[in-house]
Amino acid sequence: MSQIMLCDKLCSVEDCIPGTGVYLRHGYIYSSLAGYVLRKNEGEELPVISVVRETETQLLPDVGAIVTCKVTSINPRFAKVHILYVGSTPLKDRFRGTIRKEDVRATEKDKVETYKSFRPGDIVLAKVISLGDVQSNYLLTTAENELGVVVAHSEAGAQMVPISWCEMQCPRTHTKEFRKVARVQPEYLQA
Amino acid sequence: MPTDTKRVRGPEVSQSPSLFLPDGRQRDQVDVRPVFVRCGLVSQAKGSAYIEAGNTKLMCCVYGPKETERKDETDMKCGRLTTDMRFAPFSCPERGSWIQGSQDKDFSLMLQESLQPAVCLHKYPRSQIEVNVMVLENSGSVLAHAVTCASLALADAGIEMYDLVLGCSIRQDGASYVVDPTYTEQNSCSSVSSENQGGLTVAFLPSLNQISGLQSDGEMTEETLTAGVRTCIEGCYKLYPVVQQALTKAVRRAALPPPES
Amino acid sequence: MIGSVCVTQSPVSPSFLLHFRTAEPLEYHRSFLKENCRPDGRELSEFRTTTLNIGSISTADGSALVKVGNTTVICGIKAELANPTVEAPGKGYIVPNVDLPPLCSSRFRPGPPGEQAQAASQFIADVIESSEVIQTEDLCIERGKLCWVLYCDMMCLDYDGNVLDACVVALLAALKNTQLPEVTVNTETCTPGVTLEKRHGLRINKHPVATSFCIFDDSILIVDPTAEEESLATAQLTVVTDEEDRLYSLHKPGGTSLSGQKLQECISRATARQREIQKLINKVIHSVKTAQ
Repeated sequence: MSQIMLCDKLCSVEDCIPGTGVYLRHGYIYSSLAGYVLRKNEGEELPVISVVRETETQLLPDVGAIVTCKVTSINPRFAKVHILYVGSTPLKDRFRGTIRKEDVRATEKDKVETYKSFRPGDIVLAKVISLGDVQSNYLLTTAENELGVVVAHSEAGAQMVPISWCEMQCPRTHTKEFRKVARVQPEYLQA
Repeated sequence: MPTDTKRVRGPEVSQSPSLFLPDGRQRDQVDVRPVFVRCGLVSQAKGSAYIEAGNTKLMCCVYGPKETERKDETDMKCGRLTTDMRFAPFSCPERGSWIQGSQDKDFSLMLQESLQPAVCLHKYPRSQIEVNVMVLENSGSVLAHAVTCASLALADAGIEMYDLVLGCSIRQDGASYVVDPTYTEQNSCSSVSSENQGGLTVAFLPSLNQISGLQSDGEMTEETLTAGVRTCIEGCYKLYPVVQQALTKAVRRAALPPPES
Repeated sequence: MIGSVCVTQSPVSPSFLLHFRTAEPLEYHRSFLKENCRPDGRELSEFRTTTLNIGSISTADGSALVKVGNTTVICGIKAELANPTVEAPGKGYIVPNVDLPPLCSSRFRPGPPGEQAQAASQFIADVIESSEVIQTEDLCIERGKLCWVLYCDMMCLDYDGNVLDACVVALLAALKNTQLPEVTVNTETCTPGVTLEKRHGLRINKHPVATSFCIFDDSILIVDPTAEEESLATAQLTVVTDEEDRLYSLHKPGGTSLSGQKLQECISRATARQREIQKLINKVIHSVKTAQ
């Protein structure tokens, strides 16, 4: 595995497909990071060439990315969150996101009540649907089975156990609270 | 050339010993001071670099990409690069004030303009990258070294760039010049003629062979200026291996090579 | 914990710990404190490695760079001449300032000093005044006419908690490193004459050293907190003592209460720390002298 400097010429565009950490100039692929070269054959004719620094560097939330966030406030129209992770990469700086009422779940959108879906402090898995515009933050959705609340604390302060896709139970007081619960896939936890 | 026969003549060219006083440096040669460069010293920053050239010492920290504070339409497509360059109050022979002077602001702006063309800002929509430079000791050529230091810190932070940016200054003093001048060399003038007196700082992208920033003051003829720019570029190339070595070390420290797939 | 949602999560992977740390930092720290240790492997009363470098800035009359773990503070001292005040004609000035520039952490914004920097400057000024590290009378050159002003600028270059302790060490070491040129006042013309070649050091009377603590969950006491620990703690406390175990300052800006017994523990830890630091400063100054 060879180490590469910034702006090193890697190869011609005829030999490889540009991946991440590279840029094109005059028909050649150059590195835009100082790091290691990674060539991957993904069944295509040409291998994908990337330059990587750490094992995984996805720096900013992008459309389609799965993010882990913490709910900071809710109101009847939307929930405000802080994005903590993109995939399994922690963000050094916090980015703000919004989950609108209509993006909470896929079915019966008109019956969604935000405070029956999230509470401040909940840890939520969500997907980025838009980078937003000048006024708004990143727009996120939880309208998939795998997305929604993964960690929540009850009013008694104990961590709750999910009992269905829309309810969680406090192990101490056995009271049930409403949430949009995620069906967590193990790979998100271990990645 | 008419020869003066009425006087006792010495050699054709001679130089005052005072020119060689500070650290025995040569005039009219691309003689940059020895540099020491190191990456990744500051734990809190995304990327950082420290540079020492002679007695000039400065450090740079890069934070972000983080959410933009003020948003406008252009921020939606590409990121924003902000720079802040400051002098520690004890960094100059005269004590500086805590309040940022116009010189600091000028330097910050020039730094920003020199770095911006090298950063792939379109990869960072809606976010800003902050570059903070602190001059700990000012012994001349501060802007040039700030440019080098900042680009190294950006690379250390893993910010995507087209190329590194290297800086080099010269001080033109009549017919002769000094590369990478010290504080005293920068502010002294030994020749009597008022022609061709000035300073020049060039920010240069070494792999792309492009100039991203050029700042000059004083008065210089066109030929002197173009020759000066060429000299600065030569000076940048002298820095290049040292800077590359520091970056190689930083990459190796950040992560081991990924497994062969 | 994120993991409890998942049914079978037996081996805890390192990245899982990382997730836990970002999502639930307080719980994460508690899980360590329960075992009487801290996330960085330290014991509760253990300081981070402290290193000192003096005289590295040649444009300053005295300077020192201190590292306490990651936290880095540089102190530069510039001496200038001024007229003494009418109220204290036989005294000079010491002007300490702490700067927390945006360079040292993303929590600080550019612009005038924030609350924390102002509080730190005032704290340092109080320590100087109460401990009389330097007698301001020593800074007087000609009574009522001329005296020294010592501008002591402490600048944080890397903020990872416990900046006060680092500032005090940097200040003390820089003062010990300071060499002032000889100044004589011409009696006829009343103008000062400076001899740069003849320099002399300052007389350091006391060696005050600060030791900071954090209180976690109203009861657990930890020394030398990191930035993360500081932000999660319920109270903070700084004790300043000198070589004769005199107590100069006990700074506890609000927060949860502390028992008298715990306070005694803090003070005895602080006196031990004072010895360590004074030894370090003397060692570094000695090594610099022998190197010359």
